[in-house]
Amino acid sequence: MDDDNPLLAVRDLRVTLGPVTAVDGVSLTVAAGPFGLAIVGESGSGKTTLGRAILRLVPAAGGTVLFDGQDVLAMRGRRLREYRRAAQIVFQDVDNSLDPRMRVGAAIGEVLTVHGLARAAVGDRVAGLLSETALDPALAGRYPHQLSGGQRQRAAIARALAVSPRLLVLDEPTSALDVTAQARILELVRRLRAERELAYLFITHNLAIAGELCEQTTVLYLGRVAETGPTSSLLATPAHPYTLALLSSVPELDPARRRTRIALPGGPLSATTRPPGCPFHPRCPLAIDTCRVSVPELRLVAPHRQVACHRGHEVHAGLRPGADSAAKTQPASDDGSLGGPGHVRRR
Amino acid sequence: MKLQLRDLQVRFGEELAASVAALDVDAGEIVGLAGESGSGKSMTIQAVLGLAGTAGATVSGSIRLDGVELIGMSPARLRAIRGRRVAAIFQSPGLAFNPVFRVGTIMTRALRLHGLSAAEARERADAALRSVLLPPELLRRYPSQLSGGQLQRVAIALALALRAEVLLADEPTSALDVTVQAEVLGLLRELRDTRGMAILFVSHDLAVIAELCDRVAVMRAGEIIEQGATSDVIASPRHDYTRELLAAVPRLDA
Amino acid sequence: MSPPVPAPPDVPGRPPLTARRGALRLTALRLTALGPAARRDPVIAAGAVIVGLIVAVAVLAPLLAPFPGDAGSAVHPADALQAPSLHHLFGTDQVGRDVFSRVLYGARVSPLVALFVLLIAGLIGVPLGVAAGYFGGVTDEVIMRVTDVFLAFPSLLLALAFAAVVQPATLTSLTIAIAVTWWPWYARLIRGQAASVAGRPYVEACTALGLPRWRILLRHVLPNSLTPLIVQVSLDAGGVILTSSALSFLGLGAQDPVPDWGLMIAEGENYFSTQWWVATFPGLAILLTALAFTLLGDGLRDLLDPRRLLLR
Repeated sequence: MDDDNPLLAVRDLRVTLGPVTAVDGVSLTVAAGPFGLAIVGESGSGKTTLGRAILRLVPAAGGTVLFDGQDVLAMRGRRLREYRRAAQIVFQDVDNSLDPRMRVGAAIGEVLTVHGLARAAVGDRVAGLLSETALDPALAGRYPHQLSGGQRQRAAIARALAVSPRLLVLDEPTSALDVTAQARILELVRRLRAERELAYLFITHNLAIAGELCEQTTVLYLGRVAETGPTSSLLATPAHPYTLALLSSVPELDPARRRTRIALPGGPLSATTRPPGCPFHPRCPLAIDTCRVSVPELRLVAPHRQVACHRGHEVHAGLRPGADSAAKTQPASDDGSLGGPGHVRRR
Repeated sequence: MKLQLRDLQVRFGEELAASVAALDVDAGEIVGLAGESGSGKSMTIQAVLGLAGTAGATVSGSIRLDGVELIGMSPARLRAIRGRRVAAIFQSPGLAFNPVFRVGTIMTRALRLHGLSAAEARERADAALRSVLLPPELLRRYPSQLSGGQLQRVAIALALALRAEVLLADEPTSALDVTVQAEVLGLLRELRDTRGMAILFVSHDLAVIAELCDRVAVMRAGEIIEQGATSDVIASPRHDYTRELLAAVPRLDA
Repeated sequence: MSPPVPAPPDVPGRPPLTARRGALRLTALRLTALGPAARRDPVIAAGAVIVGLIVAVAVLAPLLAPFPGDAGSAVHPADALQAPSLHHLFGTDQVGRDVFSRVLYGARVSPLVALFVLLIAGLIGVPLGVAAGYFGGVTDEVIMRVTDVFLAFPSLLLALAFAAVVQPATLTSLTIAIAVTWWPWYARLIRGQAASVAGRPYVEACTALGLPRWRILLRHVLPNSLTPLIVQVSLDAGGVILTSSALSFLGLGAQDPVPDWGLMIAEGENYFSTQWWVATFPGLAILLTALAFTLLGDGLRDLLDPRRLLLR
């Protein structure tokens, strides 16, 4: 993988939302398109905040974000506007991604007009963008509520493509959709990647999607990188206990491919109750004393594979939780491992 | 047969929202109802709970619980059944709990409504929480202080405490993280095995259904188009739509 | 973040039940669909019909009134205080003017005052509310505190103050007095809605897509914040009419010979026990108008209730 001239380079990014540190020193690289990086994590992992911070939709508290070598976090005025054309986002909330008062065609057209396209040319371009996302151009006259969920998401993608971005951040774009609509969106992303040489940051909680669309994967836990590397390698030989647990939890259609579930006691911790040492240790079935005390740094465990775990090498080599930790039956303890104030999904 | 649906039709005026020719759920089995939005699966659940009427629908056909017909039953008798013998959990557990009451209050209230004394109610609630691997201290917390996974487990605990025989689950894990989902699914399996509950599990995620359900019925546009043992339906689907659904599930190539 | 709810499927051609019903309700936002909506809902129908009648009366008053001059400065002392008859449907007042004609012309006065009050209140309150809701932080604090100050003034007090300064009080001073006490409610209302809208993905998308702030505010935040206002304004119309009538009754608004209903009640007060018609008919007119607007507002609110969209 060519790291020399990455399209996007994030180093030690920190983002705080009020008292909570949602992103705590995350580094990642996205090569120029066609390329896909998956950001995998659950509630509280900070993955959504990460995506937003990269696009300057929330302020960063520290670290650097370089796009084409330029400092994104320091951009203002015209530079920032140019960046906003080069990097776009597609949201998870399909129902509220489009202005309910605007016809779909008008919403996309507005973007084109604002960025200088002549009014006469807008109609054709809108039709072109809609066809590109496998939507009937006649839908331009409809309101968002008159479209199905999958169609709405494709319209949102068409709108993002209107500015011809080079980087697309997809924030769980299919979590709110049914499986068939989801499959079509994934197919669309695949196609756009090839046709537009697009680079994308695919944020998801579904490892299978990461496997299908992205050559690189970064697993986040509580705002820190747990491990990162080429997707196929990461899925075949995970090096972090959290990845193990994630993999074991993914429901499998084929009974032959089901894995023994590794239970994680308690719920995902809220970022406000960050324990000392490794953020994952209270739930980790392989935790040892070092884990409670020192925060593991990202270290190379194999070519291109980095993991932040004191036992990363062992896990990578095949260490798995023993019979005693494979199925926890005791109730979770009440010392903060129950997850603090929380609601269904937190970013 | 614990729960039997025959020729069940849920209509909104002229519109047929759900039509179930035949669906059975026996004690000690988990039956999956697979389908996408608009397939009618949620309306089916609403009909079994006797709540379709409040949504403005008319229900016809037969829903039998242990042979007793539920359609046309007086509201008073239905209320005795709803919650007590037939429990339900939904997609957004946070919305199922009144935020101004403590979790314990909500649980004990429900239990007392079905005839238990205050002391009995508290004891049952305690025991139920422990069965779902939650510490009884959680009873003193407010719903906003619990995570989605915890709330869903509390909802299941309530079904347990009421000694419900049938559990209707409408996409209970769709909004949960995958690790939390795995926990909840494990819990449901336990309910089936140790309590002999009859569970009707509605979901659009075929992989989850494949892992959890003994039998599955696939719904499309309000009708059941295919039904059978899960392994059979998944290994050799007979309907194109089922094939489409299966093909759409992202695979983990490992 | 709310949990993801599976959206309607991509079944080509036939949109699912929920989307169809949602679309049905949402199109009622457009005035053209108000007709079919009214046919279904008797409340909104009644309100709409009566409001329509009042507007028609106001517009056609010169044609409908048998004695148009009586709505102006004409006086006929010889015909004073005559009971309702075929000649004078509502009787005559203390200076012989036809009450019926004056009531008809009065339909021009109160609703017009209400219109201007609401217009001014809206023009002040809405921009402030949108700014407070969208920008938040200091802007929000400052605007809300200013709003609080104005909320502290009852319209009566302010109208009295105006009356003291502008002698004699006029409909204009009345309008300004009520508007000044009314706008803070709208600022509050819009602020809440704007804040909620500002957090929605499509507004965030606008920022991400490089749309300039003014455009985001004007074309995205504002239109989506106005729904509660539509309902509120219809309901308030009734309230403003009552307030302006009350203030005119107290002499702080319209002055003779303007056919303001409130003023007419004041003028007929002394004769109420014997020549009841002088004060009663204007009073009924106020009642009917306020009721009509309230019904319309109520009906609109029910129609636009988002919970109706949640039928699954």
